[in-house]
Amino acid sequence: MEEKKPFVKINNISMWYPQKSKSLSQVIKREKQWVKAVDNVSLELQKGEILGVIGESGCGKSTLGRALARLEHPTQGDVFIDDVSTQNLIKQDQRKFRRTVQIVFQNPFDTFTPRDTIEKILMRPLKLHGIGKSEEERKQKCIDILESGGLKPAEEIMKRYPHELSGGQLQRISILRSMLFNPQFIIADEPVSMLDVSVRAEIINMLVTLSREKDATVVFISHDIALTRYISDKIAVMYLGKIIEYGDSETIINRPQHPYTQALISNTPSIDLDEIRETIKVEGEPPTPVNPGPGCYFAPRCFKATKNCFKHYPDTVELESGHLVSCSEI
Amino acid sequence: MVTTKKGWYVGRKNNNKLNRTLLKVKSDTELKFGLIGLSLLVFVAVFASLLVPFDPYFFGPDVLNKLGENQHILGTNHLGQDIFSMILYGVRTSLMVAVGSALISAVIGILVGGIAGYFGGKIDLVITECINAFMMVPTFFLILLIIALFDSSITNVMIVIGLTTWPSNAKLIRAQALSIRERTYVKSAVAMGETNLQILFKYIIPNGIFPVLANTTIGMSNAILTEAGLSFLGLGDPNVISWGQMIFMGKQYLTSAWWISTFAGIAIVFTVTVFYLLGDGLNHVLDPKHKSRKDA
Repeated sequence: MEEKKPFVKINNISMWYPQKSKSLSQVIKREKQWVKAVDNVSLELQKGEILGVIGESGCGKSTLGRALARLEHPTQGDVFIDDVSTQNLIKQDQRKFRRTVQIVFQNPFDTFTPRDTIEKILMRPLKLHGIGKSEEERKQKCIDILESGGLKPAEEIMKRYPHELSGGQLQRISILRSMLFNPQFIIADEPVSMLDVSVRAEIINMLVTLSREKDATVVFISHDIALTRYISDKIAVMYLGKIIEYGDSETIINRPQHPYTQALISNTPSIDLDEIRETIKVEGEPPTPVNPGPGCYFAPRCFKATKNCFKHYPDTVELESGHLVSCSEI
Repeated sequence: MVTTKKGWYVGRKNNNKLNRTLLKVKSDTELKFGLIGLSLLVFVAVFASLLVPFDPYFFGPDVLNKLGENQHILGTNHLGQDIFSMILYGVRTSLMVAVGSALISAVIGILVGGIAGYFGGKIDLVITECINAFMMVPTFFLILLIIALFDSSITNVMIVIGLTTWPSNAKLIRAQALSIRERTYVKSAVAMGETNLQILFKYIIPNGIFPVLANTTIGMSNAILTEAGLSFLGLGDPNVISWGQMIFMGKQYLTSAWWISTFAGIAIVFTVTVFYLLGDGLNHVLDPKHKSRKDA
């Protein structure tokens, strides 16, 4: 297979937060404790690819998303989009970066300022980025975009305030607004987890269709494994700020190699009632992200752990083409 | 619930925003009385020159007239000025001081507090310490000092009161900004490429202004009291009629002509109460967590 050049290259992104010193000795020594919410994450995405990021609550999925969208400045690392460093891009031309990278948030009820109508909310970014020559042209564009997303009648909806619309409508507007600038790289941070199950499929299909249309690369953050499998080309599994397994979504779902992934997938409910599966129980909570280690972070809860696991963090090995696992027992 | 022909749900009718506001005003007794009182005061202030029976600046021949004597409803003072007319003109002074100082205090407070809360970090640290330093200053003493040193015109009084009362507004909006800047709509505005200043003025301040509004209204009543206090101490503007000054002048005639001080005092109490009711009512209506007592 011909090696394609990655379109988005996430290079050792880390997001560390300082923890307030608790003991007196720490204050005196000026020792800083770091919470490593995201720790050295490197990923490569092809153009138009959808990458699902899964993991349990608090493993740093959303923080990774926010760092990628530069809502927070990563402690270290950089993201290259089409060989352009976003770190430099945001310094030189912030607006261009915002046009290239967009994020869809989890909570549609809080995504829009409650004091503006949908019209103002949609017109502002257009005006800000100088899209459309006149007020009428911009308004027409807003109407077209809303109607393309099935929000009819658009003119009625544009007069509403966010609290007068339903969650599904708001999330559609949120996705449509992200698409205003034809972004190349979209981060979807659990876009449907706050919505009713009945509208999830529509919203997800809309997101996928739009991103396919624009040939945009998507990072889809979720803890719904079934959903992620349905839409993603690749899946990355996160545990405590690190990617522990990465590969094609079918490979990850059908042949998970990391014990944590195996446990996650074995606990996913299946539609097929006759399917016999053994659920793997994982005891306890994830350890604190303050100075974990020195061994594998998952070792204390792992059902396959050996003494070796507690010694040092396992290296990432490539099992087959494009299937990466961080586990010392493989 | 309104749906179009095709059955799309398009929300409720648009005009209910006004209705909702009216309903809220009706539900809160304090706000209702405050608003009635305020309209009365504003009406008097605007039409004072038409309402007065005598020119309050006219030193007439009727000196120290009793209530009702020579058509002076509330009597006259030792210079022959009509007390009733003076009180009506005093509304203008009080409202001017209240509104002027409140505006200065609100604008400074919102800007300083908004910047501190939104930008955070070292800026916040420095500004918060400044606010604390300002809060430690004995306000009335400072006002006294400044008025005594400079000209005691009504504008000066207004500016000084405004400049000494902004810290409480700044603290309120800072606390609001601290929580609003973590909201998703601010994050999404960042993602849309809006600059910090745009976010501050478009998202942080409009969404966090309510407690400041309520606080400012209560601050207005304090401004009226402060101005009356200054006038009572003889530091008011001698060229305008103010209630504090009337009390001050009537003090020496308290035993023989009680009406000079008393009615000015009642006017102050009334105005201050109106602004307090207004502020309290606004607090209830604008704060969603504060449920009206009827529901409970």
